[in-house]
Amino acid sequence: MTNKESLLTPPVTTSHSRSQPSARSRAYLGTLAAIVWKEVRVERHTRRTLSVMLVFSLAAVVVFNFALELELDAARRVSSGLLWIVILLASTLGLNRSLAAEQEARSIDALLIAPVDRSALYLGKVISVLLFVLLLEAILLPLFIAFFNKPYWRPQVILIIILGTIGYIAAGVLVASMSIQTRTRDVLLPVLLLPLSLPAVLSAATAVSAFMGPELPTWSEVQAPIALVIAFDILMLTAGLFTYHYVVEE
Amino acid sequence: MIEVRGLIKNYGALRVLRGIDLKVQQGEFLTLVGGNGAGKTTLLRIVATLLNPTAGHVAVGGWPLPQFADRVRRHIGLVSHNALLYGDLTAGENLDFFARLYGLQEREARVTEALQTVGLLARQRDAVRTFSRGMTQRLTIARATLHEPDVLLLDEPYTGLDQEATRLLDDLLRREQVRGRTILMITHDLRHGFHLSDRIAILSRGVLVADVERETMSAGDFLNFYDEVTTGRVAA
Repeated sequence: MTNKESLLTPPVTTSHSRSQPSARSRAYLGTLAAIVWKEVRVERHTRRTLSVMLVFSLAAVVVFNFALELELDAARRVSSGLLWIVILLASTLGLNRSLAAEQEARSIDALLIAPVDRSALYLGKVISVLLFVLLLEAILLPLFIAFFNKPYWRPQVILIIILGTIGYIAAGVLVASMSIQTRTRDVLLPVLLLPLSLPAVLSAATAVSAFMGPELPTWSEVQAPIALVIAFDILMLTAGLFTYHYVVEE
Repeated sequence: MIEVRGLIKNYGALRVLRGIDLKVQQGEFLTLVGGNGAGKTTLLRIVATLLNPTAGHVAVGGWPLPQFADRVRRHIGLVSHNALLYGDLTAGENLDFFARLYGLQEREARVTEALQTVGLLARQRDAVRTFSRGMTQRLTIARATLHEPDVLLLDEPYTGLDQEATRLLDDLLRREQVRGRTILMITHDLRHGFHLSDRIAILSRGVLVADVERETMSAGDFLNFYDEVTTGRVAA
């Protein structure tokens, strides 16, 4: 049993809950780990999220590849955009699948009556969906290299893709937590999320495109789009951490 | 242990609770009954820290809500007609997850003990979605009491249970009562509610219209009294 305080200790001061910062950090990290552990276990049992994302992505890549086969140069030019389209749509599917199950079974109530920081619930969800999407990207990138013969293996490209994905998922968990409570959730999530993340996604696509040529771009050429992607990540994560409790609580 | 004074709850323009006054002493078992739409679930969800009151005072263990919701949450367990479990996880994984959330030490031993208490140890590696309604409800009790809460909140726990499962749930609740937990249950099952609890209160259209000590009335008299009060044939 945990060393819990007595419920009947009168609320004369607020010092009761001022536990040591290290203990609070441990509790926070414990909650994060628990949420990620749960999501991974559920996925391991059901393959519900990853399989849907993977099948959709593979179908999209194959369709794009054959649709643009006659114009190979054109395909190469737009491959970075195609990559982002596939990532965004697959991530949106994953977000919906991941959050809908919790909402339908009302197991979210069990999380909300637990004595845990709401921001840890948010961050745990972001990390777990991010893990699934990164895994998907690890499968997608070799396919894009094979189909479009572009240097998606470059570390800078991988880093930009990871940064762009973080921002999209950070915004996505927040928006999906709201849209999931509505009857039109399947439609509402992409309708809200795609325009919201458009500036960051366009910047990420621009930065990735810059690295697709035979020569590496200079820092000044990619500085602005990369800075915008990082700013979007920070903004969305901060917004999520500070507003998630308003979204999930009454 | 639970104190509610002048509680009002509005959903937009709709007033669901109209000035509820209610006290549940430590170790007491109070059943709240009433028709559909009486406001029972809303009241329970406010005490469970899942909803905020529009006006009035609600406190658990002397801690006002929602200001001290974080403090109170560690001490309450909620059993709902929704299982609040993850159907795709096994019984053991579900309890282990909640043990992690509550920061319990010696998790494995506590999970094993909880599964043994509700008679599901042999099914600990089975996914919850394969369980019958009765088994799921027993696991829900195990989940809700895993952290040894002082207050147990039950929202229609008998919904969909057959006779055998009902009997098992009765036994589990009596055991929790003996352990000294304060229990607030809402139910449509008047007989069950009456026999299990120390007190039984009647909620009608957002107003607490009666609060009866079980010992002062027989079950039959209570059923008649309930009909009279809820149909408005006599003044409460």
